[in-house]
Amino acid sequence: MKKKRMKSVLLVTFTSILAVLFIFPLIWMVFTSFKTLSESLSSAGLFPNEWTLEHYQTIFSASADSNMVQWTINTAVVTLMGTVIVIFVDVLAAYALARLNIPGKKIILAIVIIALTVPGIVTLFPAFYLFKSVNLLDTYYPLILPYSAGTLGVFLIYNFLRSFPQELEEAAYLDGATQWQVLTKVIFPSIKPVVTTLGVVTFLAIYNDFLWPSLVTNSDEMKTLTLGVATLVQGSNFVNPAAMMASTVVATVPALLIFLWANKYFVKGVTNSGIK
Amino acid sequence: MYMTKRTKWIGFLFVIPFLLSFLIFWLTPLLYGIWISLHDFRLSVGNNGFIGLKNYVDILTPDTLYNNVFMNSLKNTLMFIVLSVPPLILISLGLALLIDNLPKRLKTFFRTVFFLSYAISVTAVSALYLWLFGANGGFINNLLLNTGMISSPINWTGDQPYAWFVIVIATVWWTIGFNMLLFVNALDEVDPNLYEAADLDGASSWNKFRYITLPDIRNISIFVMITTVIASFNLYGQSLLITRGGPSQSTSSLIMGIHATVFGNNQLGVGSAMALLMGLIMMVITGLQYWMSYRNNKEETESGKSEKKRFTRATNVGPTNVSSRPATTIEKKERKVT
Repeated sequence: MKKKRMKSVLLVTFTSILAVLFIFPLIWMVFTSFKTLSESLSSAGLFPNEWTLEHYQTIFSASADSNMVQWTINTAVVTLMGTVIVIFVDVLAAYALARLNIPGKKIILAIVIIALTVPGIVTLFPAFYLFKSVNLLDTYYPLILPYSAGTLGVFLIYNFLRSFPQELEEAAYLDGATQWQVLTKVIFPSIKPVVTTLGVVTFLAIYNDFLWPSLVTNSDEMKTLTLGVATLVQGSNFVNPAAMMASTVVATVPALLIFLWANKYFVKGVTNSGIK
Repeated sequence: MYMTKRTKWIGFLFVIPFLLSFLIFWLTPLLYGIWISLHDFRLSVGNNGFIGLKNYVDILTPDTLYNNVFMNSLKNTLMFIVLSVPPLILISLGLALLIDNLPKRLKTFFRTVFFLSYAISVTAVSALYLWLFGANGGFINNLLLNTGMISSPINWTGDQPYAWFVIVIATVWWTIGFNMLLFVNALDEVDPNLYEAADLDGASSWNKFRYITLPDIRNISIFVMITTVIASFNLYGQSLLITRGGPSQSTSSLIMGIHATVFGNNQLGVGSAMALLMGLIMMVITGLQYWMSYRNNKEETESGKSEKKRFTRATNVGPTNVSSRPATTIEKKERKVT
């Protein structure tokens, strides 16, 4: 037993060292954002010698070349709307496919699975051109709507419902409930975990999406945080690691907080994603 | 369930939002993309007429402009797959094995820690690694210079092989948590009774890993491999932002090549053809991986490598011992059908 305990202590120590190394870039990001410009360029240490808030003041000031406030607002609008729409569309479809005897059910299910195997790159540029043709580039529409065409959510919820007992719903029907009542009062509460998972996955996917928003956005005012950070990285005059890290902290913290809050569902969702 | 014809069609209303969205934002772009790829289609002025398979022929004819773009970026992308997939699978499996052997509460904690970077966008990851590995004023160079390990700064993002090294490090750090999580969950489901029985019979750690753990996480490993290869195919943000495709286009990826063709050369037709070819290559490789693992799976079952046999090998003793412990296979936890 003593030997086993010893082994356990060694394991925990080793994993902890790895974890610190792993987290180091994030810690470095936060501390660098509080360094002065000259220190951030010459420093080989983690902690600032001289703490400063100037970079945060600069990126949020009215004269800033970065539109951090507007980007944050855009990101909030796009991710929240996008996630709500995806959940709404996918839950309704998955419910109908799993529980109702609707016409064309087999074809729709086949479509859902085939679409999962087609790489996203093949629809990306034509979709961009379609939005261009109807003059909707640089609006919220292309940043929000296309995510609801993804079939993964339908697939996840459909699988979950298929393995979920139907007795409760049948009892509700016998008591004279309508389909809509069954959906909102019986189904929805029971699929809450998988829906939460889908919500978090979708939220982070939209929040962190880069290629698609970069195609359909032209103006600085329409950018999301993820896209904005890319603009700052590519900006030729942005040779200031401290200011860059301040922007990155601002762009990253909301996603990290959401992630930590929903970590439990995220972990579960990956397990439940129908891989086995 | 008893349904009249009317309720059947009312039920159909539930799928309409999804079908509409799928039709507009997936099926139409897919078919439109195929159509565009058969035309001389410019981004600025639109369609210049039907040209059949000319775009594809151009891309596949050696030493033409678009052939160079496509082949060079395809070669770079395959290079990135070769460099990034092994560490993404092996390191994540190693981490998962470490975490699996920790006490339960710490398990949850470390699982979250190593999954944390997954919540960050590719642009933030790139910004971070660009300045960690910056040539002038980057943290790693400062550190190496200050400790005297190098005498002049290394041009991490502008010279090979350092450029690939930084991109691979950034990618591994960014996405390893997802693979690790899949492995940790799979390891969780390996029946502890099998290990206990093997312990009693004095099996070595390696034999337990080889004959109990590995066969049990086989399916998840195949899934991890396929998804990792697909993700590496889609390399874009890291090489765009960290190395800008350089030095001399050596890290320019397929998506960057397609992007340049569409926006730089104004050729939406050629770009769409390239995107379709890329999609086709990805589907073929995924299919091959799937087919090969399926074939192996079948061979193994046919050669009688059942749970019982695995157990025998793990304990490295004769089959007689196995029959005295049939409970190990019977008690095997039932997998969740999802």
